[in-house]
Amino acid sequence: MQRIFAIAWLTWKAAFRFRLFLVVAGLLLASVVLLPLLIKDDGTARGFTQILLTYTLTTISALLGISTLWLACGTLARDIEECQMQVVAVKPIARWQIWLGKWIGLMSLNAALLALSGGSVYALLQWRATRLPPEQQEVLRREVLVARGSARMQKPDAEIELETENQLRERLQKNPITQADLNEVRKQIREQLKAELQIVGPNNPKQWQIDLGAVKNLPRDRPLQLRVKFNAADQSTTGTFTGLWAIGSPTKTPIVRLEPMSLAPDTFHEFDIPPNFDEQGKLTITFFNANNRALLFPLEDGIEVLYREGTFALNYARGLAIIFCWMSLLAALGLAAASFLSFPVAAFVALSVMVLVLSSGTLSNAVSEGTIANYNAEKGTKGFTPADVVVIPVFKAVLTVINLAKNFSPIDSLSTGRSITWSQLGLAGGQIILLLGGILAAFGMSVFTRRELATAQGTQ
Amino acid sequence: MNLRLKKVLLLSLAAMLLVGVSGVQRSLNRDRERLGLTRIQPLENAPPVLAFTTVALGGFRGLISNALWIRASDLQDEDKFFEMAQLADWITKLEPHFVQVWLVQAWNMAYNISVKFKDFNDRWRWVSRGVELLRDEGLKYNPNETLIYRELGWFFQHKMGQNLDDASMYYKQQWANEMAVIFNKKKPDLEELIHPQTPDQKERARLLREKYKMDPEFMKQVDQRYGPLEWRLPEAHAIYWAARGLKVAQQDPDKIPKKDDLITLRRVIYQSMQLSFQRGKLVANPFASAFEFGPNLDIIPKVSAAYEQAADEDEPNRDHILRGHRNFLRDAIYFLYSHNRVSDAAYWYKYNATHYPDRPILDGKTNSFPKNLTLDEYAVGRVQEDISETSRDRVKSAIEGLIVNAYRSLVLDEDERYAGFKLLARQVWNAYMDKIPKERIAAIGLTPLADVDSEMLNRLLDPEKGVSPQERAVLRTKLGLKEEKVPPPAPTASTNALPQKVSANQ
Repeated sequence: MQRIFAIAWLTWKAAFRFRLFLVVAGLLLASVVLLPLLIKDDGTARGFTQILLTYTLTTISALLGISTLWLACGTLARDIEECQMQVVAVKPIARWQIWLGKWIGLMSLNAALLALSGGSVYALLQWRATRLPPEQQEVLRREVLVARGSARMQKPDAEIELETENQLRERLQKNPITQADLNEVRKQIREQLKAELQIVGPNNPKQWQIDLGAVKNLPRDRPLQLRVKFNAADQSTTGTFTGLWAIGSPTKTPIVRLEPMSLAPDTFHEFDIPPNFDEQGKLTITFFNANNRALLFPLEDGIEVLYREGTFALNYARGLAIIFCWMSLLAALGLAAASFLSFPVAAFVALSVMVLVLSSGTLSNAVSEGTIANYNAEKGTKGFTPADVVVIPVFKAVLTVINLAKNFSPIDSLSTGRSITWSQLGLAGGQIILLLGGILAAFGMSVFTRRELATAQGTQ
Repeated sequence: MNLRLKKVLLLSLAAMLLVGVSGVQRSLNRDRERLGLTRIQPLENAPPVLAFTTVALGGFRGLISNALWIRASDLQDEDKFFEMAQLADWITKLEPHFVQVWLVQAWNMAYNISVKFKDFNDRWRWVSRGVELLRDEGLKYNPNETLIYRELGWFFQHKMGQNLDDASMYYKQQWANEMAVIFNKKKPDLEELIHPQTPDQKERARLLREKYKMDPEFMKQVDQRYGPLEWRLPEAHAIYWAARGLKVAQQDPDKIPKKDDLITLRRVIYQSMQLSFQRGKLVANPFASAFEFGPNLDIIPKVSAAYEQAADEDEPNRDHILRGHRNFLRDAIYFLYSHNRVSDAAYWYKYNATHYPDRPILDGKTNSFPKNLTLDEYAVGRVQEDISETSRDRVKSAIEGLIVNAYRSLVLDEDERYAGFKLLARQVWNAYMDKIPKERIAAIGLTPLADVDSEMLNRLLDPEKGVSPQERAVLRTKLGLKEEKVPPPAPTASTNALPQKVSANQ
C-alpha cells in the first residue's frame, strides 16, 4: 500500500507543480461566487435555489470532469513521454501499482476539490436561505432544502394481466378469432382495463389508497405533498380544469377538503396535504372531477405522495458522492487512454468518449425510433436504411453501457428536494466505480503492464 | 514596374476602394433595412457583454441559441420552469433583432408556462415576465418593431383583460394594485405626472417612465383620442401600446410597415375600447376592500367611431367588424338604459336603427327590427332573452336580481345605475304581467313590485344575513331610513369575545 500511496503523493505534487490544483480550485470557487450574480431566476426563493443548485453543481461537474480527464491523460502519458516513468518503473513497484496510485491520487484530488466547491455551494445556500423572509424559508425547507421520499400506488399489473386473460377467454368462447388477431385483442382488453383504472369521468369521483409504509411512524406535525398529473382528451376554453380534492378516509381518519384548484393538464402539480393517513399508514385521496371532460391519471406517475425523509445536508453529501463516482470513472478513462496512447491522442480519445456520452440523447432517439433514417413524428412513419441492422443493436449496447453511469441524476434530485437514497448511492458506486471503472482499470493496468516504456517516444 | 511603386499603388487603390465602399455602404444599409433584406442591424442600447457576445460569436450565435432553445423545450416538457427566465434571456440576447424569438419566448412565458401553475400569484409572475421581456428588453433593442407593440397590447387585452384564464381577475387586481402606486391610490391624474411638482409626484413619474416604460404625455394623447380611459385597467394599456406601435410605424418612413401589422394594431385598439366600454370603470368597494368593475359609458361615441374607422380601413374584414359594431351598439343602448341615461340610450337606439335598419336587434327574434320595437321594449327584451316568458319563477328571480343590483349600486354611490336597475325591474315586471292572460294572474302573476322591492331591501338590511354594518348604514342614510337599532350587549359576559354579528363579518 505504501508504494501505491507514494505514487498518489507524486500525483498530488505534480498537480501542485503544474498549478492545476490552484487553478481549478480558483475556477470552482469563482463559479460558485459569480454564478449567483449572473443567473436570472424565476423570481421566487425556491426558483433561485433550484437554479443555483443546478448551475453551480453542473459547472462544478463540468470543470472537474474536464480537469480530471486532462490530468489523468497528462499525468501518465507525459510521465512516459518525458521519461520520468522509466525512472519510477525500475523501482520495486509493479506497473498496476503505479496505475492504481495515480488513480487514487486523482481521486483524492477530486475529493478535495469537490469538498471545497461543494462545501462552498452548501454554505452559500444556507447563508442565502437565512436572509429570506420566514415564510420563504419555510417553503425552501419544506420543498427544496430537504430530502423527500415518495410513495405511489402499487401498479396492479398482475391483476390486470389476470383479468385480461379472463376476459380474453370469455371472448374467445363467444367469438373465436384467428391467432394473428389474438395479440391485438389481448392488447385492447389490457388497455381498456388500464383505462378504467386511470380515467375519472365527468362529474365523478375517484379514490386512491396509497400505502405510505414506514411513514406512519413519522411525526404527524409535518404536511405531506401530493404530486399529481393528469391528461385530458381535449382542451378546455381556459386551458385548465377544476380539481376538488379530499384527503382522508371517511371511517378511519378526519377528512380535509382542499380549496378548489385550477389545474392544467399534462403537467405536474405539487401541493401540501394533511397527513391524514390511518394507523396502517394508508392515505386515502379522493378526486372529484367537476368538469365536463374525462381526465386520465396515469398509473405510473399520476398520483405520488411526497414526505420528508431526511435532511438536506446528508442528501447533498450523497449527491456529491455520486458526482465523485462520475469523476472516478473519468479518471479511469483518462488513465486507460494514456496507458497506451500519447498525451494528445489520449486526451482526444477521452474527450471524444465524453462527447459520445453527452450526446446519448441522439442515440436513444435512434433506438426508440428503430432507425437512423428520417422519422416522421407527425405521421408516426419511419424510414429504413440497411445500416439499421447493425447500427441500432450497437447503439443499444452503447446506450446500456452509458446508462450504467448516466442513469443517476443527483443534481436533478437535489434541486427538486427529492431523496437520494443510500441504495441509489450504493448502486452508483457499484455500477460506476466497480463495474465500469473496474473494466477500464483492468484494461489500463493490463496494457500499461505490457507496454515497452524504453522505446523511442513519438513526441520527442 | 518598380516593386515599391507597385505596392504603393495597390495600397492607394485599396484605400480609395475602402473610402468608396464606406460611402455606398450607408445607402446600402438604408435600402436593406427599408426593404427588410437583413436582420444584421447595429445593436443599440446593449450592455458591453451583449455587444461583445453578438460580435464575437458571429454566425455561431444561431447555433448556441438553437441549443439553448432545445434545452428550454426539454425542460418545459419535464415541467421544470425555474431556468426558463434565464434561458429566454440568453436566447433573446443571442438573437436580439430576431423579432419572432422575442414574441415566442414572451408568449411562452405569459401563456404556456403561466397556466401550468395552480397558484394565481405564480401565474401572475409569469404573465408579468412575458410583458417585461417585450416591454423592457424587446423594445429596447427593437424600438421600431410594430409586431412587438402589437404583442404587448395583445397580452394586456387578451391575457389580462379577457376572462379566458381562471386567474384573469387576479391579474386585473394585481395590475390595478401596481397602477395604484403610480396614481397614488386615487383616480388617475396624468397632468401631475407630466408636470410633477412634489417629490412624491416626481418619484411616481420616474417610476412610470423607467419601470413601466410609459410616457405620460403620450398617455394623455391616447386618453384624449380614445378615452377617457381607466389607466388602472389592462385595456387602457393595450390601447396605449397599440397606439405607440402605430405612431412608430408612422415615424419610421424608411421602413415599409406591413399593412396587416397596422390592421392588427388598430384591431387591438378598437377591441380594447370595446372591453373598456363593457367594464372599463373601476368602482372601489370600501366594504370589501376590492375593486368592482362597471361599464365606461363615456367612451361610447369613440368606440363606435373606432369600429367604423376600422371597417373602412380593413375592407376584407369589413362585414365582420360591422357585425361587432352592431353588437356593441346593442350593448351600449342596454347599458345606457340600465344606468338611467335614457336620452343617450334613445340617441344610440336611433343611431342603430339608421345604420342597421334591416337587422334584428334581439337574438332569436327575426322580426325584432329597430322600427318594430320601442326602446323600453328592447331593454326588457334584453333582460328576457335568457328568461322564459312563461317562467314566473325565473322572471321573479331576475327582478329580484335587478333590485339587489340597484341597492348595491346605491351603496357604492352609483346613483344613476341604481335608478337604471329600478327602471329595468319595473319594465320587466310590466312586460311579464302584460303578457300573461288576465285569468291566470292569480295563478302565475307576480307579487306587486313594491312588495318585491321591500322584501329585497329587508334582506339586505337584515343584521344577521344582510350586507355589512357599514353598507347597511350607507343604504339607510341614502334611503332616508331610521338608524339601525343596535342590540344591547349580551348579559352573559363570560368571555370577552367580539359580538357574533361583527365577528361573522370579519
